[in-house]
Amino acid sequence: MPESTDIAIVAWGMTPMVRHTDQTEPGLLRVAIGQAVERAGVSRQEIDFTCEGSCDYISGATFSFVQNIGALGAWPPKRDSHVEMDGAWAFYEAWVRLLHGDIQTALVTGSGRSSTAEPSLIYPMEMDPYYLAPLGADPATLAALQARALLDAGKITERQMAEVAARSRRVAQDNPYAQVRGDFDVEELLASDYVRDPLRRHDLPPISDGACAVVLATADKARELCERPAWVSGIAHRSEVHNPALRDLTDSVGTRDAALAAGLDLSADSIDVAELQAAFSHEELLLRASLGLSERTEINPSGGALAANPIMATGLVRIAEAARQIIENGRQKTLAHSTSGPCLQQNLVCILEARP
Amino acid sequence: MSEPCAVVGVGQTHHKSRRRDVSFAGLVREAAVRALEDAHMTWADIEAVIIGKAPDLFEGVMKPELYLSDALGGAGKPVFRVHTAGSVGGATAIVAAHHIQSRVHRRVLALAFEKQSEGNTQFALGSGRGASLGAGGAFAPFMRAYIQRSGAPEHIGWKVAVKDRLNALRNPHAHLKIEDISIEKVKESPMMWDPIRYLESCPSSDGACAVVLTDQQGGKEAAAAGRPPAWILGTAVRSEPGNFPGRDPVRPQGAVDCAWDLYRQAGITDPRHQIDMAELYVPFSWYEPMWLEAHDIAERGEGWKMVDRDETALGGSFPVNTSGGVLSSNPIGASGLLRFAEAANQVRGMSGAMQVDGARVALAQAYGANAQYFAMWVVASSLQPFG
Amino acid sequence: MARTVETVIQFPYKRSLGPVFGEFMTALTHRRILGVPWGDKVLCPPLEWDPYTAEELTGDLVEVGPAGTVTNWTWVGVPTAQHPLDHPFAFAHIRLDGADTPMFHAVDCGSPESIEVGARVAPRWRAARVGSITDIECFVIGEEPVTPEADGGGAAEPVTLMDYHVAITYNNPVPANAERSVEAAGRQVLLGQRCPECGRVYSGIVGSCVIDDADMGPDHEVELPQRGTVTNFTIVTPTQYPGQTETEPFSRCMILLEASDVVLSFQLVLDTPPTDIRVGMKVAAVWPSPAERASAGGAGGGLVGWMPTGEPDNSDPDLVNRIM
Repeated sequence: MPESTDIAIVAWGMTPMVRHTDQTEPGLLRVAIGQAVERAGVSRQEIDFTCEGSCDYISGATFSFVQNIGALGAWPPKRDSHVEMDGAWAFYEAWVRLLHGDIQTALVTGSGRSSTAEPSLIYPMEMDPYYLAPLGADPATLAALQARALLDAGKITERQMAEVAARSRRVAQDNPYAQVRGDFDVEELLASDYVRDPLRRHDLPPISDGACAVVLATADKARELCERPAWVSGIAHRSEVHNPALRDLTDSVGTRDAALAAGLDLSADSIDVAELQAAFSHEELLLRASLGLSERTEINPSGGALAANPIMATGLVRIAEAARQIIENGRQKTLAHSTSGPCLQQNLVCILEARP
Repeated sequence: MSEPCAVVGVGQTHHKSRRRDVSFAGLVREAAVRALEDAHMTWADIEAVIIGKAPDLFEGVMKPELYLSDALGGAGKPVFRVHTAGSVGGATAIVAAHHIQSRVHRRVLALAFEKQSEGNTQFALGSGRGASLGAGGAFAPFMRAYIQRSGAPEHIGWKVAVKDRLNALRNPHAHLKIEDISIEKVKESPMMWDPIRYLESCPSSDGACAVVLTDQQGGKEAAAAGRPPAWILGTAVRSEPGNFPGRDPVRPQGAVDCAWDLYRQAGITDPRHQIDMAELYVPFSWYEPMWLEAHDIAERGEGWKMVDRDETALGGSFPVNTSGGVLSSNPIGASGLLRFAEAANQVRGMSGAMQVDGARVALAQAYGANAQYFAMWVVASSLQPFG
Repeated sequence: MARTVETVIQFPYKRSLGPVFGEFMTALTHRRILGVPWGDKVLCPPLEWDPYTAEELTGDLVEVGPAGTVTNWTWVGVPTAQHPLDHPFAFAHIRLDGADTPMFHAVDCGSPESIEVGARVAPRWRAARVGSITDIECFVIGEEPVTPEADGGGAAEPVTLMDYHVAITYNNPVPANAERSVEAAGRQVLLGQRCPECGRVYSGIVGSCVIDDADMGPDHEVELPQRGTVTNFTIVTPTQYPGQTETEPFSRCMILLEASDVVLSFQLVLDTPPTDIRVGMKVAAVWPSPAERASAGGAGGGLVGWMPTGEPDNSDPDLVNRIM
């Protein structure tokens, strides 16, 4: 681990996550960034480093991220970078950059409009080009295989999956940014048809458009900008073997390894809130078990990805929500998780804490 | 105080218009294995993998870091993917370096590649729409403006092309090797994007490049084993909006700011004399004098004179693109990393027939999109080359 | 909801297979399924590398199957356009006999009640096989492979390339801002926006200033002049690619609008061969006729293009620097 350089989240912003927006992606970013910098009390010009997460195949154009620069206030020219990954990994890059110690503030974004095309036709393109993509291996199919593996291993039940789905959408009613909200009866959910046996519609994420922005700052700057910063006590990410057929789908080894590398003490049971990027209900159960989180940890009070799934921003939203629990809700220690690839292939874990 | 970072291994493929002999992962692994061998390391020694690549539409494989994770020894490790348009290869090296300098890791592998032959570059650049401007169409007006404002004679572009193509003959990995290259041949080649002719333009290549970066201890170990590393004296990036009223895209502010941020870090006050050679991203010939000026290596209006006086030739006082540059090999995602890698090899004394005698400090630069993304680093044979 | 514009991204990608995937795919054309030795196991389908260590796997490929055992499955009630079957089917992980890892593929078994973990399945081969995982059309319940009667036979030469065709349709909403440009074009008006903070005038309706992040709405609209001067240009020699519409060199010009600092990018100058394009040419906007508008022609904000006016050129040599 590097020498400790205090880095904290001091502000965040996000657009309401919706099934379909008429706004452009740069337009969504302007809203999210505007909120974040206003809450932080900094101007766009003052930000030392910017990093964005977005994806050409979701936007439907080559170099689609270039137009997003217009939302950043990149004048005078900015120290800036971009990852073709969820904003959570852009957050990671910003954290690494701030550790250098020569700059004080960073702005991270994640954005995507999944509504413009059919996800089941896009995501096969990120799968093994020889063995999976040509068969149109879509994410719901691969997720279903992981769900069945967990069920057959006796690690979860369909009722537990439905309970995760119902709880997520119920608590989402308190989240003005969430998309799928309401009271759903677990028995009724269990009586509905499978979409991808054993996954039912309620086990699947919605299609969402949205953007999220987070402001980070170091040490004294963070204390200046925020009364109760959410300090990054650790962050790490790990990849696993790509093809789900080559992995034990009943354990998220990568998530646990990332959490341990981020400094999670499994025995301390210290996490108040965990925001987990579980786009499928069974993933939440798997991630909770893989992280060894006890009953005392509240999972996804935001509603999580089952309530809103603006891909490329979903992970950063988890980080923002985990930070919000500290900044606004008086929590002490929270965990945010993001994921990429089929069946939780890559996982990022960020641990945030309040400090006196 | 950040951790000193060293380049201890460099590898690249033999760049070609079509590498039909390898699979997608096979292409990248070829460069990676060569870099690991150069570094005297194995896959297991690497702690993190940072991949850079230009738009996924080029090959139709979305988020290729997912598929490539295990192929590049990334199972159980952090795998990251950078994408900053044409500058991505450079940005990849810089992001990788930051992981070392910030003491997150001690040994990382940075890779960048493109397997353009699987798709069609012009198709991808235009997102599949008709009447695409193509690679050079957006830049032709910028070059035309440079020629006017600098008063440069028309042969400067041809000279750059001949120089880079002669240099490529000494580069075992270069894609284009034109044995009988001459000013006449360049002048007579078809006009592609007026004023740029075919032989003044970059090819479309399949290729990959990889570098192994370590912390100070790793650099010292390599030096002690007789494999002197390239030490990173500084890194800088800048982005600016590509279009706004009054923007100067010929001498972009981002190009100037990026260079001076870099020089300040590296302790350079006189880039023309303190830097021994440069690998600059020159996909169209006129970009050599344009970048020399935009990065204040030459005074404004004087960049073309450096070319005209043969100062930027291999035997000159400020050699540029001794590898043959982007004009000779252009796997787009990798091209930036190739600049950074070739600069590193120069100060390691490992450039073979391309070696600039006594090169101790080298500059590398990559740019992207509408001349709006910049990534640069300075490497040297020691951490304190200026005494 | 806003009007949407549909675009389709599709390209006939051609992937080179390399030695291992190439041998595997070639064998598929011969109705053989191969795996690669992986320590004391067999990895199928084969990879060039050990997925856990990245070390090269160098053993000769070995035959596995043809039958195998289902280790996992799901039911696809509504197939997508990319799926291998167009009626409901199962996707499954199938561990072929002799292999230690499962393969992902389809099982055509009629209903979700007909498949379970542990089921025995065998490949149904496509009649015309080209060297692709889809040479196996799907698996079927049972021990015996199914070969069509009019079987095309195996590849005469080793297969080295694989086609990958996919088309993705995007429907992008036209933002309200942009609709104002379209509406103005109907009145033959060229709109721009002036930033209330810095005064920069943007061509078109961009919605905000990228320098100040100031919002720009209808209150900030300005009508732009419709006459100007060519300041710079590019002449593109077209290359052919799927979707290309050009066959001859074509020009696109930067045009500085009269009495303003606004420069329009990459405009079409009409009735002028590329070799006649000059810095300093005077041009005027040409709008489509109602009939032309109906058939949705034109470039750059509804204009058909710009026509040279025949006035004397502006000879200022600095014009060429007016790019943006």
